[in-house]
Amino acid sequence: MDEFEISRNITIGQYLALGSFIHKMDPRVKLLSFVLLVAAITFSATYTANAVLLFVVFALVPLSKIPLRYALSGLKPAIPIVLLLAALQIIFYTSAFAGGQNCISFFRWGPIDSNTCGAQLAIVSAARFVELLVLTSLLTFSTTVTELTLGTEQLLSPLQRFNFPAHELALTMTIALRFIPTLAEELERIMKAQVSRGADLGQRGRWRFIQQTRALLPLIVPLFLSALRRAEDLILAMEARCYVGGKGRTHFLELDAKPSDFVALAMVVLFSVGMLLIRFPF
Amino acid sequence: METTAQPVLSTRKIVITGVLAAIAILLGYTRLGFIPVPNLSGNATIMHVPAIIGGVLEGSLVGSLIGGIFGLFSFLQATTPVFKNPIVAIVPRLLIGIFAYFAYVGLKRINEYAALAIAGIVGSLTNTIFVLGLAGIFGLIPWPAMIPVIPQAIAEAIIAAIITVAVVAAWKRVDSGAGGGAKKV
Repeated sequence: MDEFEISRNITIGQYLALGSFIHKMDPRVKLLSFVLLVAAITFSATYTANAVLLFVVFALVPLSKIPLRYALSGLKPAIPIVLLLAALQIIFYTSAFAGGQNCISFFRWGPIDSNTCGAQLAIVSAARFVELLVLTSLLTFSTTVTELTLGTEQLLSPLQRFNFPAHELALTMTIALRFIPTLAEELERIMKAQVSRGADLGQRGRWRFIQQTRALLPLIVPLFLSALRRAEDLILAMEARCYVGGKGRTHFLELDAKPSDFVALAMVVLFSVGMLLIRFPF
Repeated sequence: METTAQPVLSTRKIVITGVLAAIAILLGYTRLGFIPVPNLSGNATIMHVPAIIGGVLEGSLVGSLIGGIFGLFSFLQATTPVFKNPIVAIVPRLLIGIFAYFAYVGLKRINEYAALAIAGIVGSLTNTIFVLGLAGIFGLIPWPAMIPVIPQAIAEAIIAAIITVAVVAAWKRVDSGAGGGAKKV
């Protein structure tokens, strides 16, 4: 009956309580830094920029006390697809896409065009993937989900003046996270109910996708309906208690940025803007 | 008397968004939302269906928010380079619910069921086309390598259409209080 153990095997958030400098940072600062660094990584397309970014990202790992194998935990299952995409990029990336760059072709035949630009793209994509993987691990291993939600809400709250629903968005996230274990239990119950009626849910395989899709429907449709029913209950409960949104509400957690947070943020801003502005030669 | 501005998101919209987003995330965590298929991408997905259903039931904003949360999670949890790009992971997903909603509203008057099915197809294709399009623009997947994805995209669209019709039709019947067979609009 192992395949029905859903709710027990789900861990939302991957917080590791290590108490490092990064753990103690204000979540707002962490989120801003994360967004800035992700932008810097996404828009860096040169070897040198990515070398710098790789170095910086790996330098942050010891600062967070997170073991390197945790930070890289998503890498191993991804290796085949990374290699496959790299091969495709090297084989098919035509110099016409490179936008005025000088590409040196080493092999050309029909639609196949192997050149230095394709190789660069493949290497840079792989590097970017590692950088982002480590960076997201750092964020999720060092910050609880509650901190993340509250941080997002407070970062967006200045926009409330322009009618932007910052508090409502945070509440949406909270509800989503709260409902995942409940719905997992529900899903477990539905699976058991369908199997007890003779449904075949076992045997996953690449060539059985039609059977699998068919087996999925009796699970998914009741799951949706039960979720919507629970939503109606919650709406009724909230309206009965006169829920009117975020104005004047206080929080269980109060965020308090320390001077070190501002220093860290200033460093990240300088670094990211620098990475975006500096034109690296290759 | 004190008047308060109508909130952008009503309690109903907040809750439906949260619950449907929870389904999207759950489908990802349990890998139930991935159907292994024999081609290069490895998996067909139904994780975008909550965004379509949210759009159809509560409007484009709800659909878009569910898609956004789903996109955010697929970015944070991604194990492939394609979805480790925030623009590819999030932007297309914001559009799923919007396009599905407009497809549904546009066709609802002609035939409710057809409108639901087409909303499912439109939402699903929005996901496929924009994800692949942006992945192509960013050079993450070369254009010729996308051809094998076409049958998968069609399969995903059909599955999304079936689930959308099944869920929304059943829900609306529940919602209007009319039991099986009774005709109520």
